[in-house]
Amino acid sequence: MSVDLDAFRREVRSFVARRGLRMRGEGVRAPRDAEEEREIRRWLRELYETGYLGGGWPEECGGRPGHVPMQDLVLMEELILHDAYRPLDQVVSAAHAIIEFGTDAQRRGLLPRIRRGEHIWCQLFSEPNAGSDLASLRTRAEADGEGYVVTGQKVWSTDAHWADMGLLLARTDPSVDRHAGITAFVVPMDLPGIDVRPIREMTGFSEFCEVFLDGVRLGPEQVLGDVNGGWKVVTSSLASERAFVGANAVLLERMFRDLVALARAVRLPDGSAAIEHEDVQAQLADALVRVEEVKLIVRDTVERILLDAEHPSDGPVAKLAYTEMNVALCELALQLLGSSSSIDPEGAEVADRWYHNFLWSRALTISGGASEILRGLIGRQALGLPRA
Amino acid sequence: LTYEEPTTNIETDVDVENTSPAGSPVLTTTDDDDIRMLRASLRATLGLAKDDVQPTLDINWRRLWPALARLGVTGFCVPEALGGLGMQAHAAVAAALELGAALHGSPYAGLVASAHALGRVDDPVAQDLLAGVLEGKRICAFGRLDSACRAAQVVDGAPGADALLLVVPTSDDLILFTEPSAWSITATAQNFDVSRSCGDVEVDAARGRRIPSAASKQLHGLLLAADSLGGVQRMLARTVAYAGQRVTFGRPIGGFQAVQHRLVDHMVRSRGVALVVDEAARLLGAGSSEATRFVTLAEFGVASTALHILHELLQLSGAIGFTWEYGLHLYERRAHHDARLGANPRAAVRSLAGMEGWDR
Repeated sequence: MSVDLDAFRREVRSFVARRGLRMRGEGVRAPRDAEEEREIRRWLRELYETGYLGGGWPEECGGRPGHVPMQDLVLMEELILHDAYRPLDQVVSAAHAIIEFGTDAQRRGLLPRIRRGEHIWCQLFSEPNAGSDLASLRTRAEADGEGYVVTGQKVWSTDAHWADMGLLLARTDPSVDRHAGITAFVVPMDLPGIDVRPIREMTGFSEFCEVFLDGVRLGPEQVLGDVNGGWKVVTSSLASERAFVGANAVLLERMFRDLVALARAVRLPDGSAAIEHEDVQAQLADALVRVEEVKLIVRDTVERILLDAEHPSDGPVAKLAYTEMNVALCELALQLLGSSSSIDPEGAEVADRWYHNFLWSRALTISGGASEILRGLIGRQALGLPRA
Repeated sequence: LTYEEPTTNIETDVDVENTSPAGSPVLTTTDDDDIRMLRASLRATLGLAKDDVQPTLDINWRRLWPALARLGVTGFCVPEALGGLGMQAHAAVAAALELGAALHGSPYAGLVASAHALGRVDDPVAQDLLAGVLEGKRICAFGRLDSACRAAQVVDGAPGADALLLVVPTSDDLILFTEPSAWSITATAQNFDVSRSCGDVEVDAARGRRIPSAASKQLHGLLLAADSLGGVQRMLARTVAYAGQRVTFGRPIGGFQAVQHRLVDHMVRSRGVALVVDEAARLLGAGSSEATRFVTLAEFGVASTALHILHELLQLSGAIGFTWEYGLHLYERRAHHDARLGANPRAAVRSLAGMEGWDR
């Protein structure tokens, strides 16, 4: 079955324009109050009900027959273009882990609640001493009768303060190779022994949390995948909805337009706009060509993903290029702002956005594979260099 | 384009007139596989099939040029009715990448741009010249006139050229000179690039004929960018190979993050620039209205990165990279001259500012 992507895009566009929940800022996802939380859950439910989200799931789990991965990309692009709430990655990757590794009972019990917006998910992966080196995690799940008792500390868990469910990685066998002794669990966040403390970040928002697990009792039905097979679950769930990476091209394009808008609104002491100056135009030209480069790298990657012909280094190259470009654009914006004596009123909103984006931008080069980790991966996989 | 996998190499001491070039291609249509075959064919012909080979200069490039011309390289952007292959900007870019990687002495960007412009002129002298260029027997050098339209500095291929095609500044016009008495050439004092020979020319503009062709100028700029990019790709591959072999403190230097991560950054940036060059070629070949913008981006992207990356690769090669024999400097010299020949990157910023509306 072939899909008319242009028609699909028009349909999604009109839906997002009508029903979309507006985003407060890049990376800002946790609700301010009960009202906003209801809105987020409503929005998530509508995205699943229309089949725009989760269309690629198996049909028996609610997926749409004939769905193509390009539709995921179209959805994400339209969400970005309309500034609509789109931080869905934890929910999306939990869903994929359940679809791929869940028992029938887990699939039946958990997936419909994701689709209804009842279950917001978080990841309980990183620890104070296990960040980029995730396999060194020390939270223990010790066998106790039929089940397990979990003790340990997690950190940088996005959404944990309002999530209903967590995907937990814990060590079940300390005696074997460190990748081989880890198990994944599905955990209701309201279990006794779970204490969640939000962390206030440099942006002023609280998106990440510390999560303390003190004697949390889990049943055998909460193991996801095989006992000691957790590493496979985490690596596979991180690879879900791969075509989403393509949406970053739209985001960069939008950021570049914001940069030009800023250069027009920023006034120098002599009253001229920054954009009138040749040195600023040269900086814009440099930023523009680099944005086009990254857009093409991302497009190239998506093409290979859709052909199922991607190289293992493609994803890391795209992520490295996109996130570092994001930082570079933010730095340029701050430079423009730093040399200004005033900002025209119509530039006030865009200036605020840049201040927030600047503070947020490093979250992207640190999380989900820090740039340094990615460079190592690319060095080995694309250049064939030895492990550093 | 359909190319056979190359089976023979041209040796420098054989009689080219009687040697068929590698693979004897039959040209039909363009797609990625054909482009790859073209590059492989050129690589083999140019003796550059391996990444760690020592770069060499060949001052007698014209002897072998007719053999390469038989691969169709000068006619990639000439109408088929005139003996060319249509508007195969992609194929021309692929050839420029390989010739740049090989430090080839030909003024390739200028030849393709000239052939493109000559293909638009209905006049027996121009068509005769075009036929000679397509056969690889005549050279039409391409350069930029000064504001008085009397002289052009640093014209690639001018010494020994059979004709000149010079861009009139701030216009889309070119002036064609076919009478040798209409110009005089002096060896340029600005010979930083030692792989090609440039000349300074003085002309009597009244004795030339005007040809309007914005696309020829764009093609020239794009192929100069591809020339530099080919050198960057070649030297990047060579430096990566070197970093994997060169051992210090008991391990290959490519295993140190300080070296490896920099190589990765250069790989990612050069991949990005290469995709922009590719996209520009695709748009130019398709006659798209977006072509001008993308060609300018490609020129700017390459002109502002090539020399920087090459100079970094020199650092990562250590002291061996600093020697004349190692030859990295030959690519640096050439990349700089590519930018000069196209008056970039400043010209590109000016036109981008105009196209994007930043100057309003």
